[in-house]
Amino acid sequence: MTTSGPSSDLDIYADEHILDPYPAYRTLRDLGPAVWLERYQVWAVTRYRAVYDALHDPHTFSSASGVALTPETNQMLMGNTVSSDPPEHDRLRALIAPRLNPRALRAYSDEVQRRAIALVDDLIARGSFDAVSDFAQVFPVSLVPDLLGWPEKGRDRLLTWASAGFNTIGPMNQRTIESVPALQEMSGYVAGLVSENDLRKGSWGAELLDSGRERDLSEDVLAKLLMDYLLPSLDTTISALASMILLFGQNPAQWDQIRARPEAIPNAFNEVVRLESPIRGFYRHLKQDAKVDDVTIPKGSWAIVLNASANRDEQHWEKPDAFDITRRAAEHVGFGHGVHSCVGQGLARLEGHALLTALATRVRRFDVDNAQWGLNNTIRALKSLHVTVHAA
Amino acid sequence: MKITADLHRCEGHGLCAGTAPEMYDLDDDAVVVVRYDIVPPHLERRAEAGAGVCPVAALRVEA
Repeated sequence: MTTSGPSSDLDIYADEHILDPYPAYRTLRDLGPAVWLERYQVWAVTRYRAVYDALHDPHTFSSASGVALTPETNQMLMGNTVSSDPPEHDRLRALIAPRLNPRALRAYSDEVQRRAIALVDDLIARGSFDAVSDFAQVFPVSLVPDLLGWPEKGRDRLLTWASAGFNTIGPMNQRTIESVPALQEMSGYVAGLVSENDLRKGSWGAELLDSGRERDLSEDVLAKLLMDYLLPSLDTTISALASMILLFGQNPAQWDQIRARPEAIPNAFNEVVRLESPIRGFYRHLKQDAKVDDVTIPKGSWAIVLNASANRDEQHWEKPDAFDITRRAAEHVGFGHGVHSCVGQGLARLEGHALLTALATRVRRFDVDNAQWGLNNTIRALKSLHVTVHAA
Repeated sequence: MKITADLHRCEGHGLCAGTAPEMYDLDDDAVVVVRYDIVPPHLERRAEAGAGVCPVAALRVEA
């Protein structure tokens, strides 16, 4: 395929560009709003405006052939909500979305707040802890499987399965190859849940299976929809929750602002997701030529839409690399945007806001050190962060 | 300028009202309420900003 337009042989999946992706994104943005990645033979959409427009044009930037780099992964993903275009997409999303919108989630806000307070009180009693294993991982992993009606057996594998899934969105590199057994294990497990109808009666998961069966969806699609509900809700939220502690630890004056004005919490959580976007982006298949400013991405190409780069675009944000809870952060694309925008973002916000609310009255200061970032093809997340809290 | 709201698409995230409270509100069921049929000229930019931030593209701007 001939390409005309900017190109780069930068390897966005090299360890150095996973551990610190932002210089690479900057390099690509400087080359153009769309850049041909030689190494992977795909385009990258880099700047905010271009990313936003691509996300809002699903007929050109199609998800129906899959949203991963490799055909093997796309084959496995086929049939779920992420890998579909309107109108099929809207029908599938309608099976998952109603339980997850903020108005439906209000029924759970007291419970979530209660759990948040319990966790925070426990951590304050400890004084020092790890923001990932003792804080960020604890909350989503205990909450979402409960809501879904997931049996207790198998919960200890959920994080492994989720990370494996996100690795496979990228190339068939060592990380991905090592993830394959976990994915096979997960597929077998979820298929078993569906065929045994093993989700708690009255739970969201049980309801999903019932509605899906009423619509004659296949067991395979039902399994994929269950995974749609669960897998994207773990690594992503965990990432944001741990980054939240890191950023407020590094910016104590802004923590003081949160303590003085808790109504700043929603915008602050948006700023965390903007600055340290958990998901770098997903792929799209071009159904027709796309004009991205002065670059044309030809029909038939594949392109990674780099949400995480858009969120740091100096052409859109003032001082994009600064953590600033007073900026207008709501327009970030860390949850995606448009028809595929994260269906669980209401739940992520519910969790994040509840934890910030509990922390705001109880913690005066976070001392953070020894931040270690994890290696995953798609997810940016701390794998450990030592924290000492100073109680209010 | 007119703003059209797709009330079926609206999921109640409230980003519109957070960005441009002069133009958007959420009712008791957390569904968007567009305050003006015809957007007053001095609010056009705010109206566009609020419409653009909607994560599910439920708000459309007609110039």
